[in-house]
Amino acid sequence: MSVEKYLKPSVINQIKRLDLRAQFVVKGFLHGLHASPFHGFSVEFSEHRKYTAGDDLKDIDWQVYAKTDKYYIKKFESETNITGYLLMDLSQSMGYTYEQELNKFDYAICLAAALAYLMISQQDPVGLVTFNDKVRQSLPPRSRRTQLGNVLSLLSNLEPSGTTDLLNSLTQVSALLKNRSLLMVFSDFLVDEEETLNALYRLKHGGHDVILFHILDEAEVSFPFRGICKMLDPESQEEIQVDAAGTRKDYLEKMQAFRDGLELNCRNNGIDYVPLDTSMQFDKALLEYLLSRRARG
Amino acid sequence: MMSWVNIAMLGVGGLLISVPILLHFLMQPKPVEMVFPAMRFLIAGRQTNRSKMRLRHFLLLLLRCLLIALVAVALAGPSVASNEFGNWLTLGGVGFSGLIVAGVLAFAIYGKSSKRMLVGILTALLIGHLAYGGWAVSKLLTSESAQLLGDDQAPVAALIVIDTSPRMEYVSENSNGLEKAKEAAVSLIRQFPADSQVCVLATDNDRPFFSIDVAAAERRIDSLTTDFSGASVPSALIAGLRILKKSTQDRKEVYVVTDLTQQSWVGENPKLLVKQLGKESGISTFVFDVGVVDATNFSLGSLRLANAEISSRGRLSLSTELTRFGPAAQRSVKMVIEKRELPLPIVRDGVSRFPTQSFEAQRVTADIREDASVPLKFSFSQRLELGVYHGRIELEGQDGLAVDNQRYFTFRVGATKNALIVHPEDVNPRVMQSLLTPLDKVEAGTARYESETMDQMTFSQLKDWNEYDAIYLLDPSPLKDEIWEKLESYVFNGGGLAVFLGHNAAQGGIADSSFTTTAAARILSGSLQQQWFNEEPDLFLSPKELVHPVFDSIRDSESTVLWNRFPVFIHWGIEPVLDDGIPTQALLRYGNREPALIERSIGSGRVIIMTTPITEYGFVTQRESWNSLLSGNPVPAFLLLDGIASYLVEGDAESLNVLVAQTAVLNNDLRKFPESYQTFSPDPEKPPTVLNSVDNKIKYRFIDAPGQYRLKGQFDQGIILRGFSANIGGAVTDLTRIEMDDLDAFLGADQYQLATKQEEIQRQQGTMRRGKEFYPLIVVMMLVVLAVEHLMSNRFYSK
Repeated sequence: MSVEKYLKPSVINQIKRLDLRAQFVVKGFLHGLHASPFHGFSVEFSEHRKYTAGDDLKDIDWQVYAKTDKYYIKKFESETNITGYLLMDLSQSMGYTYEQELNKFDYAICLAAALAYLMISQQDPVGLVTFNDKVRQSLPPRSRRTQLGNVLSLLSNLEPSGTTDLLNSLTQVSALLKNRSLLMVFSDFLVDEEETLNALYRLKHGGHDVILFHILDEAEVSFPFRGICKMLDPESQEEIQVDAAGTRKDYLEKMQAFRDGLELNCRNNGIDYVPLDTSMQFDKALLEYLLSRRARG
Repeated sequence: MMSWVNIAMLGVGGLLISVPILLHFLMQPKPVEMVFPAMRFLIAGRQTNRSKMRLRHFLLLLLRCLLIALVAVALAGPSVASNEFGNWLTLGGVGFSGLIVAGVLAFAIYGKSSKRMLVGILTALLIGHLAYGGWAVSKLLTSESAQLLGDDQAPVAALIVIDTSPRMEYVSENSNGLEKAKEAAVSLIRQFPADSQVCVLATDNDRPFFSIDVAAAERRIDSLTTDFSGASVPSALIAGLRILKKSTQDRKEVYVVTDLTQQSWVGENPKLLVKQLGKESGISTFVFDVGVVDATNFSLGSLRLANAEISSRGRLSLSTELTRFGPAAQRSVKMVIEKRELPLPIVRDGVSRFPTQSFEAQRVTADIREDASVPLKFSFSQRLELGVYHGRIELEGQDGLAVDNQRYFTFRVGATKNALIVHPEDVNPRVMQSLLTPLDKVEAGTARYESETMDQMTFSQLKDWNEYDAIYLLDPSPLKDEIWEKLESYVFNGGGLAVFLGHNAAQGGIADSSFTTTAAARILSGSLQQQWFNEEPDLFLSPKELVHPVFDSIRDSESTVLWNRFPVFIHWGIEPVLDDGIPTQALLRYGNREPALIERSIGSGRVIIMTTPITEYGFVTQRESWNSLLSGNPVPAFLLLDGIASYLVEGDAESLNVLVAQTAVLNNDLRKFPESYQTFSPDPEKPPTVLNSVDNKIKYRFIDAPGQYRLKGQFDQGIILRGFSANIGGAVTDLTRIEMDDLDAFLGADQYQLATKQEEIQRQQGTMRRGKEFYPLIVVMMLVVLAVEHLMSNRFYSK
């Protein structure tokens, strides 16, 4: 219970250090799973260690107990390593939130940090690429412990700005990658749907595994506005005046159709799609990652 | 027609409506500005959104304008005539729902609803609303309601009908209905606006007129007394409405102050009144009920005297019934006979003095069930001097209605009457003789008649018949014209004649010519026409109603008389002579509707003709028997003959007891009676009047109250006292209240207001004059509009 609460964005927001945030998210997630997420995975035995409180009883090696009368648990090590890339949308629209603790970008950073932490703790190499209309920064993948510090350092210094050009950015990313990788894209995808899909197909056709973390603000999902509102698009600077109540139904239908369409197209093309909004706990994203990892194994 | 308390408020409201319109354009609320990245999902519906927003703004503006308009209308105080309120309400409802339908339709059209059927239905509904609204408006505008509303101080033309029937004398809470009615009427009059026209009309057949001023109307009300003429409220209303409609005042009001008893609402066709008081008449009608719902009463019924004239030792018999209106009770009723106290009546100190001494002849105690009647019989037999006597049947104790606690009667003690029974040789007169002079009564000295029998030949030669009070011609044989003429003269001078036609009137199977002459026809009411033969024993006397005095004896046993046991086989048919100026009526008919008993009134006397004889004893030989009236136990025939005998000699006896409002006609043979009389009415305060004899008759036409009317005259140095009694009918004091449905039938279910208290009638009056106000409804509408406006504006402009 004590750790699970860190899966909530509102609580995580109170933790200023990004490394701690990542640590809390991952620990809270793992604790909440009850059963080992690694159990049954393609991992091999590495060593024994002494049982400490909190370890899963299923991991106790009863044969060693029979011989030594002491509790030891089995430690496993992954058989193969995957190379992960965290692709962060850095556009202006990602800096939006209506009334949540974290804006879409902060939410994406937390998620990315947690995933980075998780991957590095499993000795998977992880890299980072940020983009808006083109690729802005990148860190090559490493599995060293220092890599986590680099990733987190870069993430913590990012500020969302500029417009989105997903096709161009992801085409650049595709050119950068040499081996099959796990690409985790964090974006609100508020661009032309066809352009988004084309960009994603391109990555997928490059032989990569793609997980789409579709991050929207809670307000973008539920449209909680009332009265007459004058809306301003942060990227295009376009303005529109709407009667919120009269528009809500129509908006929500369109938004849902957009998300459903994206999900359908992703599924049809073997892309994992994780719809998220900034009010949701982080575990959904993490679980999606782990499932994807198992599938690869 | 709609009226307004303050119509200027409508103008003010019109100006104020411009305020929200100006505000709408000048001070539109600033939209909340915000950044929103998912804009592309909004841009797609931008056009629809803009239309919707405009429509909603327009609706909001409309609601605000409507709110101000409603406030202005409410302050302007619209009202309409109560009878039109329903129409206006319907119109308002249709208008309101039409607005809603129009609003929904506009939404459906602007919102580009894909449901064409919905749009079609809404359009049809809107057209229906518009059509109905147009029709209702044109109807209201063309309605010719003359009611002016809005100013309850405008003068009115008012008809106040006050029920003055005897039932209004019913006392409850120490005052009777008439007093309450007068009090209510005066109170009404006092609060009429100045210059109003007031017509006070009682149910007394009086002529309606508008009083000069309110004070005169009050005096008129004050002078009203109970009326016994039996006029009803509807007939008074019809008479009063004639004058009310002639009034030039625009506003006309009718007030009926009554106890709402059934008897007050009889005698007129309800449809006449309903039409006159209809909505189109513009007359407001109010009924003020001063009656008592749970009234209790004892009521004596109409008196029936077996004989109004008896011999000095004769027996006076009378019957009536006691009716209870209320729970079961016991009461004593006594018969009181007034003693003659000459020289009373006289006038002393301006007041009539009547005899005060009387004696109780009989007392009867009756146990009477709830709302039931018991018959009462009284008889009196005591030697009295010749003359006219007054008496009364009196209920002991008090009850709510005193007027029906006594009934008055007058009877005459006369000398023994001389009867002459004339018969041909082949006719046996013994039945008639034994009937008129029964042996036991002759021996006791109480027989009313002295009879003499005479064969027809001797009778024809007799010079003077004037010593006889009545002549009975039993199955007469042919008579010469001079005998017929002499008989007419005899009857004209007051004699009584009975002719029982039989086989002797026939000659060779047809009527003898002496029975078809003009002289015979004047007695017989026509010429004998033919004999009606009926071989089967299925023709008999068939009485319909036994109201005539000849049936006095038979009336009480009417239900037990089996006339079919006494068949008639042959009777004469008479071809009536029309227009001979002699009142004629058939008193009794056979089953074939031919007359059996005919009455003729010639001068002061009467003729009774029976078209079948009463001398067929059942052992007739050599000819066919005419009837079986005397076969078996011939009680009905005897009772009938007794009635005929009494009627022939009593002369004016039936005028001794009359109903109020009838005319009493007394024979006044100047050879025996004075030419003029001092006439005292029952009210001692009324001075006596003088009545003169005309054509040997005294006629008293002004019987306006129950009681004893006394005639006092001077003849041959002696005082002659005569008189008669007047009573109200038994049903007059029936306190049964009218059913509301029946009252509705007279006044129209929704055309009148019923009140039992002064305040109620004043309130209803105010409502009728000012009309029904829309204020409460408008306030409700304002609240609805306000709530809708609040909801909409909250939805649009919330932060």
